[in-house]
Amino acid sequence: IQLLEVTQHVETHKHIKSDDHKLSTEELEEKYGTSISKGLSSARAAEILARDGPNSLTPPKATPEIVKFLKQMVGGFSILLWIGAAFSWISFGIQFAQGAESPFDNLYLGVVLALVVILTGIFAYYQEAKSTNIMASFSKMIPQQALVIRDAEKKELPADQLVVGDIVEIKGGDRIPADIRLIFTQGCKVDNSSLTGESEPQSRSCDFTHENPLETRNIAFYSTTCVEGTATGIVINTGDRTIIGRIASLASGVGNGKTPIAIEIEHFVYLVAGVAISIGVLFFIISVSMRYKILDSIIFLIGIIVANVPEGLLATVTVSLSLTAKRMAKKNCLVKNLEAVETLGSTSIICSDKTGTLTQNRMTVAHLWFDDQIYSADTSEDQTTQPFDQSSQTWTALSKIVTLCNRAEFRPGQENLPVMKRVVVGDASETALLKFAEVVLGDVMDIRARNKKVAEIPFNSTNKFQLSIHETDDRNDKRFLLVMKGAPERILERCSTIMINGKEEPLDSEKAEAFQTAYMELGGMGERVLGFCHLYLPENEFPDTYPFDTDSMNFPTSNLCFVGLLSMIDPPRSTVPDAVSKCRSAGIKVIMVTGDHPITAKAIAKSVGIISATSETVEDMAKRLNVPVERVDRRQATAAVVNGMELKDMSLQQLDEVLCNHSEIVFARTSPQQKLIIVEGCQRQGAVVAVTGDGVNDSPALKKADIGIAMGIAGSDAAKNAADMVLLDDNFASIVTGVEEGRLIFDNLKKTIAYTLTKNIAELCPFLIYIIASIPMPIGTITILFIDLGTDIIPSVALAYEKAESDIMNRRPRNKSKDRLVNEQLAVYSYLHIGIMQSVGAFVTYFTVYAEQGFLPTTLLGVRVNWESNAINDFEDSYGQEWTKYQRTYLQWTGYTAFFVSITIQQVADLIIRKTRRNSIFQQGLFRNKVIWVGIFSQIGIALILTYGLGHVTALNFTPLRFQYWFVAVPFAILIWVYDEVRKLFIRRYPGSWWDKNMYY
Amino acid sequence: PSPALPRSRARSGGGERGHEGEAEDPNSEEEEETKQAMGSKTWRELAGDLKLFLWNREERTCMGRTATSWGLILLFYFVFYTCLAGMFAFCMYVMLLTLSPYTPTYRDRVSPPGVMIRPYLHGFTIAFNVSKRSTWQPYVDSMHRFLAAYDDKVQEEKNIECVAGRYFVQGGHEGEEKKACRFKRSLLQSCSGLGDPTFGYSRGQPCVLLKMNRIIGYRPGAGVPVSVDCKVQKGNESDLRSVDFYPGNGTFDLMYYPYYGKITHVNYTSPLVAMHFTDVKRNNLVPIQCSLKGEGIINDVNNDRFLGRILFTLSIGK
Repeated sequence: IQLLEVTQHVETHKHIKSDDHKLSTEELEEKYGTSISKGLSSARAAEILARDGPNSLTPPKATPEIVKFLKQMVGGFSILLWIGAAFSWISFGIQFAQGAESPFDNLYLGVVLALVVILTGIFAYYQEAKSTNIMASFSKMIPQQALVIRDAEKKELPADQLVVGDIVEIKGGDRIPADIRLIFTQGCKVDNSSLTGESEPQSRSCDFTHENPLETRNIAFYSTTCVEGTATGIVINTGDRTIIGRIASLASGVGNGKTPIAIEIEHFVYLVAGVAISIGVLFFIISVSMRYKILDSIIFLIGIIVANVPEGLLATVTVSLSLTAKRMAKKNCLVKNLEAVETLGSTSIICSDKTGTLTQNRMTVAHLWFDDQIYSADTSEDQTTQPFDQSSQTWTALSKIVTLCNRAEFRPGQENLPVMKRVVVGDASETALLKFAEVVLGDVMDIRARNKKVAEIPFNSTNKFQLSIHETDDRNDKRFLLVMKGAPERILERCSTIMINGKEEPLDSEKAEAFQTAYMELGGMGERVLGFCHLYLPENEFPDTYPFDTDSMNFPTSNLCFVGLLSMIDPPRSTVPDAVSKCRSAGIKVIMVTGDHPITAKAIAKSVGIISATSETVEDMAKRLNVPVERVDRRQATAAVVNGMELKDMSLQQLDEVLCNHSEIVFARTSPQQKLIIVEGCQRQGAVVAVTGDGVNDSPALKKADIGIAMGIAGSDAAKNAADMVLLDDNFASIVTGVEEGRLIFDNLKKTIAYTLTKNIAELCPFLIYIIASIPMPIGTITILFIDLGTDIIPSVALAYEKAESDIMNRRPRNKSKDRLVNEQLAVYSYLHIGIMQSVGAFVTYFTVYAEQGFLPTTLLGVRVNWESNAINDFEDSYGQEWTKYQRTYLQWTGYTAFFVSITIQQVADLIIRKTRRNSIFQQGLFRNKVIWVGIFSQIGIALILTYGLGHVTALNFTPLRFQYWFVAVPFAILIWVYDEVRKLFIRRYPGSWWDKNMYY
Repeated sequence: PSPALPRSRARSGGGERGHEGEAEDPNSEEEEETKQAMGSKTWRELAGDLKLFLWNREERTCMGRTATSWGLILLFYFVFYTCLAGMFAFCMYVMLLTLSPYTPTYRDRVSPPGVMIRPYLHGFTIAFNVSKRSTWQPYVDSMHRFLAAYDDKVQEEKNIECVAGRYFVQGGHEGEEKKACRFKRSLLQSCSGLGDPTFGYSRGQPCVLLKMNRIIGYRPGAGVPVSVDCKVQKGNESDLRSVDFYPGNGTFDLMYYPYYGKITHVNYTSPLVAMHFTDVKRNNLVPIQCSLKGEGIINDVNNDRFLGRILFTLSIGK
């Protein structure tokens, strides 16, 4: 089915015109100018290589580095700052032309602004490059080697050197290095899962079996793996011309929208830029109408822009996201695209694969039936014993069959590994039985050695059984033991007796009925059931020299003694049920999408909780009410198991209906292409969809999804390329930890932004009051930059380390259109509450400094023009003292420093209150997040260095400040803390009240 | 009736949150949101949205708030900002209480003293043509205006005669009115404007007055009077051939110090030094630097060209 889908998919886009599978070996040799025995000559190969290019997939087109870099230079707030810089230079030019006294101040300011943009741009670029590099290193795996015949010699060559016409040899475990037409095979089976998602191995031969090149058995495809056997073939397609290459290029065509966090940040940038521009323009008009010179007004405008733009914020956000990404990588979620970190947090639907993600991806014995009773086996990942009752003689017999009638073997040299981790040569069921036996009985290989095998018929699809004959390890018992396993109904047919409590009893209809019930029950659990029987061959008829011949079957194969049933399943990972229930409480819908049989899918879904114990599908209801399926009200069923065939016939509306009406959905027997349809359906519901995938064919769905999650172990490169995230352990539970981290970072980014925005008002107010009240400038543009890019950076990153306030996995995913990162409440509370308080506190310090030096507040009002005049050098203060211009300027810088110090002190309070949005700080714990304290100390440390260390560098406009001025704003800092505690108290006390609505951000 | 109606209702519900409960069918709301999230809106729809945002007749909301909501929020901000203003006023009040009305707490930024000259019109270039009265008359007027406070009569009436050669330290309570020493303009002799009302400008020998900035409690020179010296700055020394200083040899007598601040030292008049440039090269820009000399005077700070010194240019034409 899957292959057909691929065909359709590929053919609609690109026609495959290939008849290589129909040609005979000789024709092929001729077509490709090669020889099966000698291969191509090196010279010829080099020619073709030059013509076709290397045998590797062209990586998706990367944006040129310079474009990425320039994007960082103009993105976000950069434009505003460039405008500021341009204004600075323009006013420098005008002043310079007019011959003003100190025009260079504006030149420097422009240079500083440009530097800020360039440095933050470089930083962001570096961050992005670093996170891309993680991925690049990940995708660069050990170069694949291929065994090629060239110049009549076998050579190991890097796979990308292969050319069309090369003769390659493949053995079990190899990855197919190109599209290959097989010309010689021996028991060859390939795993096409990277192409189709179907992990069942398919056999390959040299015969032309199907018109369609994708269906025929004599072609093996690039990037699939050979599971067992050997084969030789001619390379017919290389690189992007392979089937995989065509699908991969198809995937790159699927559009990829903006991530939710990118949208949020854009929204936030617009908001802040809007505020900056409107206040800037407003005050430009005000200052012009107050008869300020145009040039001065432009300089005010620059100041207002610089004060309003949180220069360091975008860098902070990037750092926070990459910190989370690192944390997630530790928890096995490797994030390729930083923004995907948050996307995962806003996920509302997860479409998960079954095999390997929800399950352990290995068959395991789950149930046994003997002595007319069903026993459950332990299916956990690290089982060392089996707890079921093993005292019965029947079990002894059954265990002997399980051990002996099995061709699987452990690879040698793994004696020290736990049984479950050892590598086994053999198919999935036999592996399961081998491991099961090893766990229960101990050394299986030794038991087999003691019960020497004398004859064997391997399993085949016509017989549907496997048989072997052994000597027994009982020295007194010279009889041969015939053991057989196979499809239960076929085994039962061959039995006339059944073993009950170690005794053979005739197989009457009652016992056959019991068998049927047990068989149905196990099958109903979605398990693969095998029957086991044996027979001790009578010594007189079969002496130890008896020549057993498996072709003529000169031994009995009927009237055997039935011993028991074993059923196997690929069991769920033990962490998954917990993770699914976490998703449920977090309001995330988990949809299972699998290629498996509906019954198996449903059974797994039930056991992991995707379908909860109490809910029913339409079919279940029909069965319970005993009415036809059509008469059941579909809306009443909470669960649904949708077959891929049904899905094919569904219209989009019908699919929407299914997705909308059922909360628990399993899609079974679906192809990877249908996954894309399902993802699109979910997105139509307005959901943020996360999709897991491993096959190449999953890549369109992975791309289409809001967040594509590729499997790190089982995933193909194409899937990893298309995905936003790679699950290193393939475990569903890791996704849930990722969701938790994503939600936490969203909350913490809110806090970071609230923290950062607050002081913008304290930086802006000085300009506004300066313009309106004509007081000496309270804070300089350079000083503002030192706050934004100096003292505030580490604290705002520290908020990313804040622990969650409540169980974030107990609330619904955020609504993309309603729960904004920066909402009205956040902006208003930061700007108009805390921001204003900070401004007031800083102004108190400012006025104190001036008053103690001789300028009382009343003297300062309206003083600007004379204050700034270079000619007035006997400017009189409130006490009659006279000041030179430079003395005033120096005092003004002292004012800057005092203002700066007050903002810093109050930002410490701001930082503390931002730790929580609802809980009291004392509930959250002041000392739980140690990084916050690093932030606080860094903030104060940087301020101390700037004030006392760099206080004599005139260009920076800092002056050493009297120590007591550090404490003037402390009452306001305390006020901020108290006010915020009161706010949070009311929010907790009166949820849903007017206060809650207006104050909770 | 317009298709935008239910959508904006959903939005106004989000903005105010007070009406969430009233939203009719949760399904339809969700659908609308989906549409909103998916499709970009046309200008017309945007205009409709804006209109509804400004005044939503059904919800009776203006900019997303009802009248009550607006009332509450305005009341809240009124109370909040009043409290903040109160806190600000209180802090300022407490701060001002700690200040002395007579002496500033710190004088570290204003000292050592700066220097200014008179006449001062626009800048630090004194340029005139001797033959053209209109070019120097403004300077002369400025000098007369400035010296009015130094008229001998005024000084005799308001101020007392002090003992020259030592600081005039006045004890007593800080708030007591302080006496000021007489500085009669006649002390400036040929630059007093009494004998020559044109201060020498009509003859091309201009007088320039130099005054030291007032600093409360400052005792310049540490016992030795601070003197003034002038020289050509960066130029031919011979451009400035002769300068006469009044009073004395161009010193600020100690008796005029210390200064006690404008509240108590009401009639204080800064002592002056007059510089009579009797022989300056004509028809030339002559840059001159006059500096204070004395103990504790700093006159070589690069950034401050008015600290303990002053730079000005003389340009005297025929």
